[in-house]
Amino acid sequence: MHRVIERIINLLAFLLTVGRPVTADEIRHTVAGYDEKSDEAFRRTFERDKDLIRSLGVPLRLDFTDAYEVEKGYAIRPEEYALPDPGLTDEERAALWLATRMARLGGDGAASAIFKLGGAAATSTGDPLSADLGSDATALGALFEAVVERRRVRFRYRGTKRRAAPYGLVHRRGHWYLVAGVGEENRTFRVDRIEALEVAAEPGAFERPPGFRAAEGFPEAPWEAGTDEVDAVVRFDAATAWWARRQLGTETKITDHPDGAITARIKVASPEAFIGWLIGFEDGAVLERPAELRRRFVAHLREGS
Amino acid sequence: MSSARTAERLGRILAMVPWVIAHPGATVDEVCRRFHYDRSELVGDLNLVFVCGLPGYGPGDLMDAYLDDDEVVIAMADYFARPVALSAPEALMLLAGGMAVLSAGTADPALQSAVDKLTRSVLPDPGVIDVDLGPEPGPLAMLRSAAAEGSVVAIDYVAISTGAATTREIEPWAVFAAMGNWYVSAHCRLAGGERLFRIDRIRQAVLTGEHFTPHPAPAEPGVRYTPGAEDAVVRIRLAPEASWVADYYPVTLVSSGAAGNEIEFSASDPAVVARLLLRLGRSAELLDGGDAAAVRVQLTGLRESILARYG
Repeated sequence: MHRVIERIINLLAFLLTVGRPVTADEIRHTVAGYDEKSDEAFRRTFERDKDLIRSLGVPLRLDFTDAYEVEKGYAIRPEEYALPDPGLTDEERAALWLATRMARLGGDGAASAIFKLGGAAATSTGDPLSADLGSDATALGALFEAVVERRRVRFRYRGTKRRAAPYGLVHRRGHWYLVAGVGEENRTFRVDRIEALEVAAEPGAFERPPGFRAAEGFPEAPWEAGTDEVDAVVRFDAATAWWARRQLGTETKITDHPDGAITARIKVASPEAFIGWLIGFEDGAVLERPAELRRRFVAHLREGS
Repeated sequence: MSSARTAERLGRILAMVPWVIAHPGATVDEVCRRFHYDRSELVGDLNLVFVCGLPGYGPGDLMDAYLDDDEVVIAMADYFARPVALSAPEALMLLAGGMAVLSAGTADPALQSAVDKLTRSVLPDPGVIDVDLGPEPGPLAMLRSAAAEGSVVAIDYVAISTGAATTREIEPWAVFAAMGNWYVSAHCRLAGGERLFRIDRIRQAVLTGEHFTPHPAPAEPGVRYTPGAEDAVVRIRLAPEASWVADYYPVTLVSSGAAGNEIEFSASDPAVVARLLLRLGRSAELLDGGDAAAVRVQLTGLRESILARYG
């Protein structure tokens, strides 16, 4: 590990000071740690080192070495390398560190992030609250980068190929959602169902709608994310009414019955999500109207394995 | 040595060096506290920095890095005067963590201003990222303070797998949000051991007035499912549109192909598997073998009981 770290520190020091793109060959013969390797060993080592450098957040570029555009070389621009200082106080850094301990996204990467900002003591929170924001920060990171840099994306979603302008990311009810412009419309995609993501190279490729806020218009309940517009009328028995009431939005119209049961008029935009949710009530609820949705619900039950 | 460990160590060095350069006279204690070093680790990293520098690699080209009594000294390293910019995953981890805790009603003004500053620094427009752990089920706030204070709580709980309601006294340890639900981990006096309860399934919660000594080292909270010998184990073929199940549940991926994934799913109760299958409908197929027969019985029972209301 010593040799790898020394070699990479030397490489970074060289690229940060040389002020021009340098070819892999020049790096090999200039930077300490590469010189004794065979062609093949150098190639492999250098590939690994580049991956490692980029994983740290270092913007390693591949640019032409001169105006003739014959050869390409590696470059790090000091102004891109350096963290723009957000100007956090010690107290703010400590609060942020504790927050990332309580609400975790991915593995232990938050420590390296806090170190870059100037570090914070590893105290424990004392607050019994915590949250799991997902295990994979890497896939999400690619989308985040696309959102921040306004790069277009392509992906597969439920078997359909999509092209989208990624406007924002929202975390709700345990899942990350991409809010994106598809044609003239804003669409919402669950990130863990996005497959074969490709991010275009060109930054600044689209404009977000003026005053865009990812959370705005974001559905309160999963069945509100969709394009259908149906009012579903469901009767929840006395035994399940309290649980339904807790999950239904404040805008849902609820009628109480003397026996403790309730009837709720629920706005459904995604019948598929709604049916899945309703099955969770088992035989403690009945979908009364509309007939079409009721038929779909029954068909869904009958068709399964 | 794994590349993750190498990256971790290198990342810490590239953050520590600029901080020391910007804070002449920094003490060993201060550097160790901020960057989670012990003294020998710090010395090890300084020795490493000490042999690095610019081509030529002579005395005038290498960095200076050493301890002077209780002071950390780094010089001849101006090119490392600034830390590396945050990577996209790092920036997101910090923002998301901060926003999540704020959404759970932590009124720490330092956290709010930290998130505001970071938002201005890394986001082109405010509002492109939004994290909200809500909605908070009824007794969350009460259980959170009960866990902090060590107060015993009596709950009416409706079990997910059976629908049976019980009243029990619990000693809450932690509350946490995972996979879209809020949970409380607790010592359950009824069960005589550690149990996990979904907070939205707690119909009612009241303080008994009794206090308990908080667990000295409760396990890190999380929705972990450890398969047991009594579990129902089945294989399920998932159509592509149901492939999220493999990410969502702790399942074993048996095979993966264009036609979908085949997973092995185990649960303490066949009813849990049956409910999932019923939700997935046509996009999942229960394969024969294992406890498929038991699950099928549950599935049929569940399906019939729901359909009975649609006669």
